[in-house]
Amino acid sequence: MHLLRYIGRRILFVIPQLFGIILVSFFLVKLIPGDPAVMMLGPTASEESLHDLRDKMGFTKPLISQFVRYLHDVVRGDLGTSWQTTQPVTEDLFQRFPATLELITFGLLLAIAIGFPLGIAAARLKRGPVRKFADYYGLLAGAMPDFWLALVLIYVFYTKLNWIPAPLGRIDMAVVPPPTVTGSLVIDSLLAGDLDALSSSFGHLILPVLTLGLINAGPILKMTQSTVERTLASDFVRYAEMCGLPRRVVLRQAIRAALPSIVTIVSVLYGFLIGGAVLVEIVFSWGGAGQYAVQGVLNADVNPVLGFVVFSAVLSLIIYLLVDLLYFALDPRMRG
Amino acid sequence: MSGRAILDVADLWVGFPSYRQATQHALRGIDMRIAPGEMIGLVGESGSGKTTLARAVMGLVPPPGVIERGHVLFGGRNLAALGDEERRKVLGRELAMVIPNPRAELNPVQTVGRQISNIAFYHLGATRKEADRIALDMLRAVRIPDPERRFAAYPHELSGGMAQRVVIAIALVCSPKLVISDDATSGLDVTVQAQVLDLLQTMVREKGAATLFITRDIAITAHFCTRIAVIYAGEIVEIAETRSFFARPRHPYSIMLLAAFSHNPALRAKWTRSEESRRATAAGGCAFAARCVRRQPRCEQEAPPLRPSATGHEVRCHFPVEAAA
Repeated sequence: MHLLRYIGRRILFVIPQLFGIILVSFFLVKLIPGDPAVMMLGPTASEESLHDLRDKMGFTKPLISQFVRYLHDVVRGDLGTSWQTTQPVTEDLFQRFPATLELITFGLLLAIAIGFPLGIAAARLKRGPVRKFADYYGLLAGAMPDFWLALVLIYVFYTKLNWIPAPLGRIDMAVVPPPTVTGSLVIDSLLAGDLDALSSSFGHLILPVLTLGLINAGPILKMTQSTVERTLASDFVRYAEMCGLPRRVVLRQAIRAALPSIVTIVSVLYGFLIGGAVLVEIVFSWGGAGQYAVQGVLNADVNPVLGFVVFSAVLSLIIYLLVDLLYFALDPRMRG
Repeated sequence: MSGRAILDVADLWVGFPSYRQATQHALRGIDMRIAPGEMIGLVGESGSGKTTLARAVMGLVPPPGVIERGHVLFGGRNLAALGDEERRKVLGRELAMVIPNPRAELNPVQTVGRQISNIAFYHLGATRKEADRIALDMLRAVRIPDPERRFAAYPHELSGGMAQRVVIAIALVCSPKLVISDDATSGLDVTVQAQVLDLLQTMVREKGAATLFITRDIAITAHFCTRIAVIYAGEIVEIAETRSFFARPRHPYSIMLLAAFSHNPALRAKWTRSEESRRATAAGGCAFAARCVRRQPRCEQEAPPLRPSATGHEVRCHFPVEAAA
């Protein structure tokens, strides 16, 4: 009951938050120089036709009324049209967001699989090769740009070894994609039992996921290590040791107490990667949402950019709500 | 004092090496024996080495501290020399600890029932179900109201006194041979403190455990310790039977501690130096000399040994007080 009321209140707060986000991003995007009319009609267009097009797109009206108009449309679920794809932005984003989410979800799962156990091992063993390795790994992962690692991986595994298909998109052109259920090609192929699609989509997914996983394991490793180190030195762990509880039980309690911080860093990374994975998307021609937004910025195509902002904002708000619910589950002190 | 001691501490020196300075000694030659079932009070101010002694007894001197000399034998075994796994079987089972700050030291994300039950589960080899039943019995035994409901409570949902009872329950689940209580009630309101102390005393008696009762509050020890040891700067300065100690304390520091509780300001003034200083005494002298009202030139040059005196006290003083007034 208490929980339901909490969720209800959180969802209610989403509305003013979204309004604020749209307000700020609308005016920021409008500040970007560039004239879509010139982009669309080319450099040889006459002044008159340019003016007509601007008028048709509503760009001649004052900014405020443009904003009100935009809000009005957003409330109806209409994010406008992209002049590049000539499709409604909502449709474009619904096509591209699953690609991005597939990439960053698997990427973060891999990052957790690397960073979490390594962080725990490094926190337990203050000296020795594991700790050294973890230290260097954290440093390296923090210093290495993800697109560069992506290029190196492509060079090694595609150019030299030729183990994986060409890094172009999510699936081979010749392979028929499975019917969409979750939006993740790998999971959908599994669900459809389509082995050709599975092996092709998996082959395409593996390098970008490896890139994101290896890079983002760094912060997860560091966070796990420092929090587990702190909980291992905390009063209740010392007391548990005095009570003669077995080592593994004490360690489990320490890790359990460290979980909230680790959940936090993972959720922050997830929210960040929705837009932050764009360089990796570009390197692998992934066709994800971040790539779409960047194309919009480069071509003065305002609606895709704003649409992307709205989508990511909603997604981030959902993620943070889920994280808060996780805190509730993890820490009885939050339940009040 | 003779016979089989459950705890035998002999000439124990614990040092904390430091990078720039000389090694700081938290304990400087502690001798102490505790017989089975005996309750001994260890009194001293902050920094006198009380907690280090407790940790040394458990074989868990906090790093970078090291036992430099002497030994601690618990039931004839040196816990510090045991492997982690061997020591773990003793701690919590034969040697239990009552801690001062339970709401910070109990696991914040585990129900208190589970935390008591864990001890029975891992030490007594009980099944989870038996362990839970034992835990519930313990909650009843420490007189926690509504134990079924409290079983599922988290530490932050309990009052300080209640949490302290839980800690006592955890300490006594396995009927240990020795309970160390380290300043256990210092954080409680005075009325609650009295209740918890009574409870601890009753429970320990019932289980037949010996107790090392560490405290800063000398008044508490009077009620239920059989012997009192006063520790100052890592040395025991006086050790005596309780009645005799309170009737006739011999060491100036013991008297100072007792005088601090006195309603007579003249008495307090008499035993406390006006120019109170905690500067270390020159090497070789008596550690207490700088604060002692009866300081003589000899005290600054020669450290006194712990000597038995006529009244059965052991006193570390060149000029033990004959009759305190």
